[in-house]
Amino acid sequence: MVQLKQGQFMQAVGNAAEINELLRRYGVKFGIYKNGVFNEQFFPFDPIPRVITAEDFGSIEKGLVQRVNALNEFLYDIYHEKKIVRDGIVPEDFIYISKGYLAECEGITPKNRIYSHISGIDLVQAKDGEWYILEDNLRIPSGASYPLIARELTRIAAPRAFEENNIVDNRGYAELLKETMENANCGGIRAILTPGRYNAAYFEHSYLAELTGSALVQNDELFVEDNILYHRTYSGGKTRIGVLYRRISDEYLDPLTFLPQSLIGIPNLMEAYRSGNVGIVNAPGNGVADDKGIYYFVPKMIKYYLGEEPILKNAPTYLPFYEEDMKYVMDNLEKLVIKDVAEAGGYGVVFGSDLTKERLEEFRKTIIAEPRRFIAQEVIDFLDLPIVEGEETVMRKADLRAFVLSGEKTRVWASGLTRFSRNPDSFVVNSSQGGGFKDTWVLSR
Amino acid sequence: MGTISLEHSDRLYWLGRYTERFFTTLKALGKVYDSMLEEKHGYQDYLECFGLADTYSDSRDFIRSFLFDTENPNSAAFSLERAYDNGIVLREEISTDSLSFLQMAKDTLKRAEQSGNVRMSLLPLEDILYSFWGCINEHIYDDEIRNIIYIGKTIERLDMYIRLKYPFDAVEKEFIRLCKNLNRVPKGTPYRYNTKYLSELVEILGSESDYAKDGIKATEALCSLFETSEVTV
Amino acid sequence: MKRVNFYYCAKLTFDDYVHNHSFALRVIPPESETQRLISCSLNITPYVSTQQTVDAFGNNVTAGYLKGDHRFLDFEIKGAAQVDHAKSRTDYMPCYLYQSQYTKPDDALKSFYGQIKQECTADSVSDRAKYICGALASRIVYEKGHTDTDTTAAQAFALKKGVCQDFSHMLISLLRMDGIAARYIAGLAFCDGETHSWVEFWTGDHWEGIDPANDCPVNDDYIVISQGRDFRDCAIDRGVMFGSYTKQLQLVRSILT
Repeated sequence: MVQLKQGQFMQAVGNAAEINELLRRYGVKFGIYKNGVFNEQFFPFDPIPRVITAEDFGSIEKGLVQRVNALNEFLYDIYHEKKIVRDGIVPEDFIYISKGYLAECEGITPKNRIYSHISGIDLVQAKDGEWYILEDNLRIPSGASYPLIARELTRIAAPRAFEENNIVDNRGYAELLKETMENANCGGIRAILTPGRYNAAYFEHSYLAELTGSALVQNDELFVEDNILYHRTYSGGKTRIGVLYRRISDEYLDPLTFLPQSLIGIPNLMEAYRSGNVGIVNAPGNGVADDKGIYYFVPKMIKYYLGEEPILKNAPTYLPFYEEDMKYVMDNLEKLVIKDVAEAGGYGVVFGSDLTKERLEEFRKTIIAEPRRFIAQEVIDFLDLPIVEGEETVMRKADLRAFVLSGEKTRVWASGLTRFSRNPDSFVVNSSQGGGFKDTWVLSR
Repeated sequence: MGTISLEHSDRLYWLGRYTERFFTTLKALGKVYDSMLEEKHGYQDYLECFGLADTYSDSRDFIRSFLFDTENPNSAAFSLERAYDNGIVLREEISTDSLSFLQMAKDTLKRAEQSGNVRMSLLPLEDILYSFWGCINEHIYDDEIRNIIYIGKTIERLDMYIRLKYPFDAVEKEFIRLCKNLNRVPKGTPYRYNTKYLSELVEILGSESDYAKDGIKATEALCSLFETSEVTV
Repeated sequence: MKRVNFYYCAKLTFDDYVHNHSFALRVIPPESETQRLISCSLNITPYVSTQQTVDAFGNNVTAGYLKGDHRFLDFEIKGAAQVDHAKSRTDYMPCYLYQSQYTKPDDALKSFYGQIKQECTADSVSDRAKYICGALASRIVYEKGHTDTDTTAAQAFALKKGVCQDFSHMLISLLRMDGIAARYIAGLAFCDGETHSWVEFWTGDHWEGIDPANDCPVNDDYIVISQGRDFRDCAIDRGVMFGSYTKQLQLVRSILT
């Protein structure tokens, strides 16, 4: 890792309060429910960026493109011929017990065969410099807007840091997203579907709509007629929507196909989609590929579909489903991290080392009873990153969410969301658990 | 984009109304503040304009409530919060920049509450609000859509001016402005005027004497201006 | 082989006006190895423009959107089909091997299966399915009025009563526990006055029909209207509408040879 000159860092650091003030002014907030009450919180920004060298980024980029391409192949395969199951690479159980697998999507081929248009891949860097993939997010990964707006403001607040370092501009994200949406467009305007202002990521929905020139819509403004999705205009007219970047989960998308009680969905959206009249970004049913259980198989997918060796490594993972792995997990439970495959957002993650003897034994029984429900991973010795706390700089755990956009080509955004834990003992970096974020600088040389 | 939903058009209209209510309230309170320098109970006329009872212990209490109390529906702070609520869901319509001025206004108002010289610390709000309107003007390209927010703004101003018994020539100018805005609204859209109530307004606001006599009736007509006149089949 | 004329109609009435009504009907029988349509027409009133698609399970979906106020939606389908159960269907999907929303067993259903498993000595899929169906039929009484369209297999099993839909869900649940892929069929049959439901199980290379409510095999007197993992995939009509109303549904249907 290249260290920037301390002085430049400190210059940016000196502006911490100023940048956070600017972020406040531009409304960089996320909503959070605490005890049933909605609160908007400012997402704390740490001015010391994560810096990734050109060389490091080059290999991360290749590795991510490879990974996302394989995942898209996998999704097409699963919803069509299922060759990877027939050939014994992925056990059938892992597909069909997964909550993310949607039988209703069988046989649907999205435009250009792209399922995951916007992939958020979480990585960590270990102390030895090696990058590991922690998880894939292929449904509705959020977070790109934060480093995007933070960069805009940091350039104002700390211009010298940008003059004196070769930092790749990350502000092309909107254009990248727009092209990706256009590539999935089936004829009509672009729209971003939000569940509303009380959603945690509402800032992001509205900001991306502004930057990409898309209509920000809610379900009651939309209807499907003759299998075409329309936006109902204020004067009683209708505007055809060609691509819908939806920020609501699959099961709520269409009450006539999925959960009938969904109040935020659009009836018959799936019929319009199946007929090829509207693109849905990302495709429904992607959850089968970012399931924590399927994660184990991604390196195998890369070999299977692309005939290539995986460039980026998974964190060493064990599936109690396999006898051999179960034995290892039982023998080493106290040093592993166990993840419940059905949970997300940092929930359902248990560190063996945190458990008392009794809890450990209890947990052992749970795993034996439901081996398919868990994966176990070695705890990676994260490379800590410096963050500013009051007057001093302290070291904290951080991960990186990289954004991979699949349009005409698969491209990695030369930036990303670096999330850190504010708690010195915690490995959990999710914003919903009180963490903050940093900008991610990719150096051009 | 070229497409706007009923919900968003409604939000735009109310964003216009509340932003203006905030601004006019602020200016009117400035005058009250000024008069109270000599006349301790100078705020009573203001309360009377809105038909409100005097439940305030003194002028300081009144000012605090009408400037800063978000629980008081007639306060500047309340209007600003409502303006912000409407603005926050219009980011892609009005731009992040426009929205940032509302956040700045909120922050400035909050700081003023702590300040030793309230009027002095409220001064930047005027700059912020004019910037907000400039920004809105810059960012909304569609005339039809921009017109909605201006209709909201002008209706609110007219309503406030009438209630605050502003002189006829000030009211007349705003009414002419409103008529120009209204004439740009296409038939069959939600902000098309109701002929009956518009004629009522023309009658009352057409002469100084009618205004002096029936001013309050005009505020009622303003309220009903967008009622659909006949049921369309 | 048999030529069968079919007729089905449903009338949805609302006690107040509704509008912005989106609906999806699964009423046009799918064509397959075992049934060919000779003629088929679907009539919907009030007039509404509709679109046809085929869903993931092979069902014909008729989707429509009624914007203006209306108080009823009627649809009527009539036609003729050539039914031939000497042939068999082969449209397999692996998801049919896994429990679904309505079929997820509880402990009681699991232990019932445990009992059957011990008693059943049959080897072939077909014989096992018949044995399981028989065991279910001897345990559950066909009786209307105790269950509704939301009743799951586990709930019906606890009641020991149910109608064809419940029998199908319970049988599917048991078959899947036995490692046999099974699917839910909604259709029309001679024996009953409304729509009927039965089960198909996968023998390893084709589907075979079995009617758990009557504990008998399926023959040329059955017409398939839709199929899926359970009732959820097969609802004849699903809709979302706006207005203050309570929905009512009336059914009429008849089949003639």
